[in-house]
Amino acid sequence: MSVKKYLTLTRAGIIESLQFRLGTLVIIAGNLLYLIVIYFLWKAIYASAGCDVVNGMTFSDTLIYLVLATALFNFMEMYVVWEMGRNIQSGKIVLDLLKPMEYRRYMFWTYSGSFVTQFFFTFLPTFLAVALVTKGAVPLGINLLYFVISVVMAVSINYSIDFFVGTICLYTESIWGINIMKQVIVMLFSGATIPLAFFPDALKTVAMAMPFQSIYNAPLSLLLEANPTPEMLLHTLGLQLFWVLAMLLISRLFWKISLRQITVNGG
Amino acid sequence: MKKKSFGFYLRIYGKILAQDLKSKMSYRADFIISTIGMIFTNLAGFISFWILFRNFPSIHGWGYYEMLFLYGFSLVALTPVQCLFDNNWSLRMYVYSGDFIKYCFRPINLFFYFQSEVFDIKGLGQLAFGIGTLAYSWNKLGLAFTPLMLLKLIVFLITASLVMIAMQNAAAATCFWIQNSFYVLDLVTRFKDYAKYPITIFSPVFRFLFTFIMPIAFIAYYPSLVILRPDEIPLLSWLSPLIGVIFFYLSYKFWMFGAMKYSGTGS
Repeated sequence: MSVKKYLTLTRAGIIESLQFRLGTLVIIAGNLLYLIVIYFLWKAIYASAGCDVVNGMTFSDTLIYLVLATALFNFMEMYVVWEMGRNIQSGKIVLDLLKPMEYRRYMFWTYSGSFVTQFFFTFLPTFLAVALVTKGAVPLGINLLYFVISVVMAVSINYSIDFFVGTICLYTESIWGINIMKQVIVMLFSGATIPLAFFPDALKTVAMAMPFQSIYNAPLSLLLEANPTPEMLLHTLGLQLFWVLAMLLISRLFWKISLRQITVNGG
Repeated sequence: MKKKSFGFYLRIYGKILAQDLKSKMSYRADFIISTIGMIFTNLAGFISFWILFRNFPSIHGWGYYEMLFLYGFSLVALTPVQCLFDNNWSLRMYVYSGDFIKYCFRPINLFFYFQSEVFDIKGLGQLAFGIGTLAYSWNKLGLAFTPLMLLKLIVFLITASLVMIAMQNAAAATCFWIQNSFYVLDLVTRFKDYAKYPITIFSPVFRFLFTFIMPIAFIAYYPSLVILRPDEIPLLSWLSPLIGVIFFYLSYKFWMFGAMKYSGTGS
């Protein structure tokens, strides 16, 4: 099987996403404002706490964690649920199903182009800005490699979850409600809004048992740890790998079963 | 065009509302799922709030219940924009496809007719949640409950919601000039989440920005001060009703200006 057909889709995606330059500018401006808000918010929070380290995280740790979580979110969020939902409602999905490529793969590679552009236009600038502003609080060493591996797995888990949720739209024909539920759960339990370190123990246990922490918490904690112990490394990456495989299996299976369900308006 | 009376508009609104509810009810599953989604959003917001305050008992001299008050206040103040002005989200689609022209041919106010077409019932869940939070914190703070207080609360809630409506109108109206106005609208919507923090945590520059340019401080902070800290009410708090009305009026003019400029797609 050749990779060429996938890369063609990636290229088309890159070109497509470059069409909306103004949109990208607004996103960047929005992110900047957002970063300013969380900067001041957490600064005030830490100032009121009266100590530098809370739950093992300093102010700059928390800031890096949250800022990069946002950057990762922009990079990973592909709005697959929306796209699938719309295609199901309009019936366009039939055309995609007829394509000589598996639907799941087709969707992924179609969106892979926006990965590339988002990486260069939002993630990388944010990362560099954070590394500069916090003056070396981001350790630059072997952890970067672990981070990259972890992000690749996170992308896969995120996509599987999105695809799974998108499949639910085959049954419900409701997009907004399903999507908002997914987003809320993922954002909360992945630690993207508040680092998992701040969670009370019971809730933390729950969050750790769910696949969502592997999307944001895992890569970010690997990034912030200059010298990870082999156990931590093995545990984090192993757990991620487990979720990659599990979610892949579940989402594929669910899709396969659901495909029989599909009803599309004629005409 | 002859001026129509207020009663006339109220009657029309009732009629359009009834039609909208009927059509919503025909997609019952979607309605139920969307409502659950809305509840999820509010719950998650509350959980992250709770987690934050478990770790940090106060922010900049604002205690848990005071912050809870701000939170509830912002939820209630954001209900009208959710319920009554939700059609703003579809504006760019109408403009893009050319369907917007249909609104231009009715013998009633264009802005009114466009906004009245959709009533988003989901917002009512948020209203209930907000009122509950407000009542709980009101009780815990030991605030007096007199008719005058209630009147103040209602007046300031209305003005706070005017500010948010104004921001959304202005953001939605950008679609008359730019193609991808979704991002502008999304940006403004994301910022309303930060309305629940006291503006004092920001540096003077951003305090100015969030007061006069992107007036999120008027959604909860300034109006709440009237009730929470009656001894130290800044002038801006008293002015907030006026400011709310001014912002709303300006956004209405801006919206109408864009709509008047609209020339259709020619089909």
